Amino acid sequence: MNSDFSLFERHVDALYRSALRLTRKPEDAEDLVQETYLRAYRYRNRFKPGTNEKAWLFTIMTNVFRNRLRQRPAPTEPLDQPGTDFSIYDQLRREGMPVHLMSPEEIIVERGFGDEVKHALEELPLPMRMVVVLVDVEDFSYKEVASILGIKIGTVMSRLHRGRQALQKKLWEYSGRPRARPVAVGAH
Amino acid sequence: MGDHCEQTMRKLSVYIDRELSDAEVRSVKAHLDDCPPCEKVFDFQAEMKRLVRKECCTDDAPARLRDWVRQLATEKPPARDREA
Ligand SMILES: [Zn+2]
Repeated sequence: MNSDFSLFERHVDALYRSALRLTRKPEDAEDLVQETYLRAYRYRNRFKPGTNEKAWLFTIMTNVFRNRLRQRPAPTEPLDQPGTDFSIYDQLRREGMPVHLMSPEEIIVERGFGDEVKHALEELPLPMRMVVVLVDVEDFSYKEVASILGIKIGTVMSRLHRGRQALQKKLWEYSGRPRARPVAVGAH
Repeated sequence: MGDHCEQTMRKLSVYIDRELSDAEVRSVKAHLDDCPPCEKVFDFQAEMKRLVRKECCTDDAPARLRDWVRQLATEKPPARDREA
């Protein structure tokens, strides 16, 4: 066994779930992760010990993914749209809902089928989707994301901002716009 | 909404992402501590971020992929089954 490479093995779940959000198909996600690990293996001597191996793997994966997309663009990729200011919280408040008694989980998940967040994320245009996945799901810092994607920190922040708003807008649409169901104040 | 509220709202997501400087963290925290309306927005958005993470962390890699990766560390890298 090459004990060095075992350091990379442990990120297979993280890479796979992100690959799934990017490709939206289990077979493509699996293929993308395989290609990522093959490259990581081939270039393992280029990895600097002591640096973040998860970020290194994600850099490889996003590069492989973007190259593939260039070769055969997916016809169904959502196009980038101009940003619109949106937050579920503001929307609820505007509609006079008892927002202080409602959690996002109640609004989005418990009224739906359970997969809304994944679907909403997958409907975001790729540049935003990548940043939201890396920051919100994989917990990378802005600086790490900037380095993984080869973009500026300011670009990370603006894509994140727009991505989250677009995500909330989709989730709001999925939730069938929470009915103005009266919530009894003080009820448990 | 006062100036402080607006400033806090502008920095809120960066605060939630723990990307503010220590001084900015202190000023946002101080405001949230004595402004219940802003604190509620904070709670909601922080919960929103947790929800996205939680809902998207449910897919684990299939066992055969995991095995394939484990084998990669052995002497002879396996052929990619998908190219067969
Ligand atoms: Zn305030």
